[in-house]
Amino acid sequence: MTDSAAMGAPGRPLSIQARLRNIEPATLIWVALAAVLLVLVAYPMGKLLVSSFETRGTGAFTLDNYMTAYGRARYLEALGNSLMLGLAAAGISVVLAVPMAWAVSRTDMPGKSIVWITVLGAFILPPFLGAIGWILLAGPNAGFLNQFWRWATGLQAPLVNVYSFSGLALVIALHSFPLIFIFVKSALDLVSSEMEDAANILGAGTWTTTLKITLPLVWPAILGGTIVVFLETIALFGTPAIIGIPARINVVTTQLWQFFEYPVRVEVASAYAMPLLLITVVMILAQRLLLNRKGFVSQSGKGGERRPTRLGPWRWPVFGWCACVGIFSVAMPMIVLIQASFAKGWGRGFSWDNLTLRNYEYLLFRHEMAIQSIWNTLIFSSIAATAAVILALLIAYIAARRLVPFAGALGFLAMAPFVIPGIVMAIGFYAAYASPPLALYGTAAIIVMAFVARFLPIAYANSTAAIRAVHPEMEEAARILGSGRMRTVAKITAPLIRKSLLGGWLLVFIVSARELSSAVFLVGPKTLTMAVLIYDLSEAGNFEVVAAMGGLMLVITLVLVGVGMKLAGRDFMLRRD
Amino acid sequence: MTIITRRGLLQAGAALGTVGAMGRFPALAQEMTPHEKQLYEAAKKEGEVTWYSGQLSAEPGEAVGKAFGERYPGLKANVIRSTSQVAFQRLSQDMRARTAQCDIFSSTDSGHYGFLKKEGLLMKYRPKNADGMIEAARKGDPDDMFQTCYFGLYLMGYNTQKVSAADAPKSWTDLLDPKWKDQIAVGHPGYSGAIGIWALLMKQMYGVDYLKKLERNKPQIGRSSMDPVTLMNGGERAIGVAIPSATTLLSISRGNPLKLIYPTDGTVATPAPTAIIANAPHPNAAKLFMEFATGPEYSRVITKLFNESLRPEVPPPVGGRPLNDIKLIMPTMEEAEKGVPEMREVWRDIFGV
Repeated sequence: MTDSAAMGAPGRPLSIQARLRNIEPATLIWVALAAVLLVLVAYPMGKLLVSSFETRGTGAFTLDNYMTAYGRARYLEALGNSLMLGLAAAGISVVLAVPMAWAVSRTDMPGKSIVWITVLGAFILPPFLGAIGWILLAGPNAGFLNQFWRWATGLQAPLVNVYSFSGLALVIALHSFPLIFIFVKSALDLVSSEMEDAANILGAGTWTTTLKITLPLVWPAILGGTIVVFLETIALFGTPAIIGIPARINVVTTQLWQFFEYPVRVEVASAYAMPLLLITVVMILAQRLLLNRKGFVSQSGKGGERRPTRLGPWRWPVFGWCACVGIFSVAMPMIVLIQASFAKGWGRGFSWDNLTLRNYEYLLFRHEMAIQSIWNTLIFSSIAATAAVILALLIAYIAARRLVPFAGALGFLAMAPFVIPGIVMAIGFYAAYASPPLALYGTAAIIVMAFVARFLPIAYANSTAAIRAVHPEMEEAARILGSGRMRTVAKITAPLIRKSLLGGWLLVFIVSARELSSAVFLVGPKTLTMAVLIYDLSEAGNFEVVAAMGGLMLVITLVLVGVGMKLAGRDFMLRRD
Repeated sequence: MTIITRRGLLQAGAALGTVGAMGRFPALAQEMTPHEKQLYEAAKKEGEVTWYSGQLSAEPGEAVGKAFGERYPGLKANVIRSTSQVAFQRLSQDMRARTAQCDIFSSTDSGHYGFLKKEGLLMKYRPKNADGMIEAARKGDPDDMFQTCYFGLYLMGYNTQKVSAADAPKSWTDLLDPKWKDQIAVGHPGYSGAIGIWALLMKQMYGVDYLKKLERNKPQIGRSSMDPVTLMNGGERAIGVAIPSATTLLSISRGNPLKLIYPTDGTVATPAPTAIIANAPHPNAAKLFMEFATGPEYSRVITKLFNESLRPEVPPPVGGRPLNDIKLIMPTMEEAEKGVPEMREVWRDIFGV
């Protein structure tokens, strides 16, 4: 989007009063947003940057931290591993997600609701729970898949080994692909059939049209989703700790953990986290270069029509692909986890005398923190989601319409947290706000702030994609008719992108509810969240109770998502004219 | 020894989810010693004792508090349970704010006691009951500032469906036999202080070569010392190394096919102290609590939840062996404090993670 709404440049000099009257509310909002981002992102990150040049204790300037952080082959290797892992996971996610998004959004494939549920399931399942499930499925010795393989073929070598680079990348992708799915699907939902019709009229078949017209139109969403998955992967802590350590694969986050061991070397960790920031900058610049050349407007003021593409005999193979992804990402790990949650001892497998409700009963009625952690999670996540969506929408709008100078800087700040691994972000927040005068450690505020900052990029990418799809001409029409900027946004833009925003809210809610890596360092005794509780329980080797807690978490999240879908569904039914 | 933070705590208790098994303990007609009676009379005026604890997990922690109140009617134990680091932080905050709330402080991190002692924040008290404890726990701080009231044990175990008792390794050195290639699981010293202690002891006893040879058998490396228990339950690995006895016994009690091995060359012990805080608001109740924690009733309560008995007359948890009958190995506090951080680097150079 190169040009945008006119800034209303006055031709004649005005009196100061008239000037003040003419100040756009957008300018004031810009100031407020800048202040909020300063608190949420810039200050904690600035604290990290400064401390990367500080000597521990004295605070004197030094470059030693960088020497230490990059002084060992093992540390550099971890950096390389993270990049490779990010690329692999993002690549696999695209392959998994884009055909599914296309099939659900634009075709007459059967069983769409099942696909939708499995996609959500994969997304809701916390990555560390999924990783545990996959260890049970694809562990080289005892994994169910390998046991079956040995039984069926008589071979000794395992079929699959989760403890490998490819295993790690696949497990991560199986839990990250929903991000791309949601981005691409909501973009595809906005593409009207007119453009496909035009291609059809000119003689292109379904596949040619899809590949040459439909998918290129949603290229920004695919690229945005891929970048998000890449950045999420390199910032992931739980799965690399659970699978990567036994596979002897050291990545940036597990390496950062090492710098936080006693004696804590925050300064070295800060230095070690810096390349991640560079990577984001490069990514975002690249995204900009790639997208700026072309226009991707698919939602214009003129009502478009959307008709599903007829797949004919291809309906079932396409459904088969979606079903396979669903089975691997959700059904199989879920079955293993559910089995464990109702088991007396999960090692004893499926049998009637191994069934018990004891694990759930224990958590619900006798565990001192389980219920509290559920409430904490719901409250923190909903506040964080609401705050993040509002912030992101305002920033994305200002940046997309270039309402004020330096709007791009706000966008960068909103996007930057994604590459800060949760561990590092938690330490930044801790350093900035935990101690007096604010003394926020152990309070809900510091956790909610960290969640908002950490997931702002998701909300921001979501809002940006939504706003990109709305052509300014509709706003311009309202403004020509005398409406102010805020009124235009409220009456024209917001309703047009409401569904996208609800999707963004759900996304942030879900990722907050399962967030581990930053929460684990910020929770106090009264602010424990479900994800941290699961992590604590998993450390105790009590797998049955871990699985039961995971089960509770999934049920609660699914109920909320169901409610959300109902609310969004009403919108679904309405035709947009 | 700055070790075992939240992990240590969880290992310590490891009794989460042990459920119906635990009813009320029958009131034990245990006579109070004259010294105990004297403290009890004085403590009655104080009415309560506040215990910051990072050693036991929820159920044994609360069971101890309840048992204290039952043994000494009129006294109430406020059990403030958390991880050891949080307990220490809470104590530091109290001190900074100059409020005295905590009477008894229990942590799995002996480093805390070195610090508190140096700052003069501990009360000198030698519980009389300590004399009746098992050998390894009896000797507390030479200046009587703290006393061992908790023992973590780290040993070996195997999955009985994969390995026969005759075949199972007997000592730490047996693990180097090539027949255990791809069969062993172990935690990581970067995540578990106990694994750091274990690796340090192996280095002290057999040299760095021990770990290099172990690496040839490609052990699966997890995080906490409890990870191998999970792996053995599922049958992914046959032998668990340096696993906590409490977690393993709990797992066995739930029907998992595991068996403990007490290595002939020594079971790793990680004693953890308890101390009275210098400005304790209830000093007599605190002293009484120290007598209680070193006495037999406490051991009886915690052994029901698979923690180790510290008294010769109290039998070990079901499936365990009395501490006096087994060979225990442990580094000194100084060795651990210096050696464990070094060990992490050595480990990473050898194992790659």
